[in-house]
Amino acid sequence: MSRKIERLINLTIALLATKRYLTKSEIFNSVDGYEGTPETKERMFERDKDDLRSLGIEIEVGSFDPLFNDEAGYKIKQEKYQFELGDISSTEVSLLSLAAEAWQEASFGDVAQKALLKLRSIGIPSDELSIPGNLHKLNDGGQDLSLITKAIAQSHLLTFPYLDSSMSINIRNLVPIALSTRNGFWYLSGVDQEIQEIRTFRVDRISGSIASSEGPADFEAPTGFDPSKTFSESRHNEFALIDVRVGKAASLRALAFSTQSLGEWDQIKIPMMNLDSLCSMILWHGPDAFVQEPATLKDLVIKHLEALVKNHD
Amino acid sequence: MIKKYSAPLERTARLLDLVPYINSHQGISLKELAGVFNVSATQMTSDLTTLWMCGLPGYTPLELMDLDFESGFVTIHNAETLSKPRSITFDEGVALILGLDLLRSAISSDRSDLFERIELLSKRLAQLIKLPSALSATSIINQELSAAITEALKSRSGLEIQYHSLYRDELATRIILPIEMVERDGQRYLSSYCYTASDFRQFRIDRIQGASVQAVPQVAPKSSAQQSRYSCTIKVFTPTREIAERFKQSELPINSEFDFETYSSQWIERSIMASGGSVSLLAPAEIRKSISAMAQSMLDRYKAR
Repeated sequence: MSRKIERLINLTIALLATKRYLTKSEIFNSVDGYEGTPETKERMFERDKDDLRSLGIEIEVGSFDPLFNDEAGYKIKQEKYQFELGDISSTEVSLLSLAAEAWQEASFGDVAQKALLKLRSIGIPSDELSIPGNLHKLNDGGQDLSLITKAIAQSHLLTFPYLDSSMSINIRNLVPIALSTRNGFWYLSGVDQEIQEIRTFRVDRISGSIASSEGPADFEAPTGFDPSKTFSESRHNEFALIDVRVGKAASLRALAFSTQSLGEWDQIKIPMMNLDSLCSMILWHGPDAFVQEPATLKDLVIKHLEALVKNHD
Repeated sequence: MIKKYSAPLERTARLLDLVPYINSHQGISLKELAGVFNVSATQMTSDLTTLWMCGLPGYTPLELMDLDFESGFVTIHNAETLSKPRSITFDEGVALILGLDLLRSAISSDRSDLFERIELLSKRLAQLIKLPSALSATSIINQELSAAITEALKSRSGLEIQYHSLYRDELATRIILPIEMVERDGQRYLSSYCYTASDFRQFRIDRIQGASVQAVPQVAPKSSAQQSRYSCTIKVFTPTREIAERFKQSELPINSEFDFETYSSQWIERSIMASGGSVSLLAPAEIRKSISAMAQSMLDRYKAR
């Protein structure tokens, strides 16, 4: 095993150090570890190239003289092999270290540690930053985050079973455009292929495995989509008027864009969102919240109250 | 799946990453180096021995890397070709970009200098891994809060917090002695002794709305009263995802019943109310009664207008 590892390292060094392309025969003659019949060497070399590529090391194929149909040669470009962040300051090193540490045991914890190692190998000491890093932590999003981010980079099509709000599982086809995390959950946004509109899904509600395949050839990612805004966006400028008792219903108040005092009560104006979720939020607050407008919301609340009375007779 | 390499490839990657690390940490102890790379000292010695055989074609002492670790301290020379860290992988880039975005969301607004740097770093990383800027992370707690909590945990001092209790729907001031951060169901809690309640309590980080360090009596706190538990039985009429997630049920067959335990009567009351008519609380009887009365009085109020 360590013979193979030595050979891979020696091959990397030789291909990195060379200024011109090295032919296969030059490699077999000079790089330590290529032994056996020509066919064996050939097979070894093919496998080694694949192995280095899978480690993210790009091997360039070219020839010495483009005018002649020469034998192909190989080399690794230093600038592609190296971590090139440009000039980087101590403060930036500490910011990146904190960024890596935010993962701890979560989804990208292992890879973040590897990134941190490379960062430290640049040899620039990090600053003492007045940012307590240990509290800013990313939540675990399972093992799918890597697949999702790759699909975003390549506009692949993701197909997955999703648990909808009425507990039925439907297959969704999505070209993903964004991944975000908020309040301990991970969200995947993309263009739903059935309706050709942007939809956002909670990653932990994907109930089964995600399949990734070639995306539609004519796909163009919508511009100007900001994943951090999907949560605050209101629909069509509609709003609801809710009376809330003074000092109560903090989570409804947090949504309000205006508040009017009515003595014992305040009247808040909040953006309309999904009718069912809003109804559920209002019922959670019991007698401390009272819907004034719109009628659709008021009727839904009344319908649920009637069912509650009936079910708890 | 996050890619895992086979053992020989994993080791090749480690050896390639060892060279630049030693190069920038000349004289590091073998033990420390093993710790950094998360392997045993024996494994590290074996890695270094393998590396010692590698170098430029020719493989005479002139071309081999000059690696010294017999003294227990590691130095490397003649390793120019591998002396720079390898480029980051796609996953590594993603991890850093998301981590940076989390930091950005948590940094207080008076550090605009850091905002700019974070922005620039993210852009450069995204270019390196060819990812459109489509990742976002939002921290649940701001910089001032996290500074106070970190300080209290470090110096074992108390905290005065403004805490929003979801079940009671009240914002109240409490004096606490934080003990540790714990994580449960994806939420983070500050496990503490609460002087206001004279008992141990867990406070959800995202519901702490203000915090300042405060001196507290350093008596060994003891848990006082036993909390009462409520054993509930819930019947399902209309299965919804909201109910499944709220009561942590993986399946909700129609007309089935399930049991649930809670420490808060307010929580169960509010949860049943929020579920509308989709479920019914069969037991305990007194909470069932109070839900019925509450729904009726709310209904009366709506009907009165």
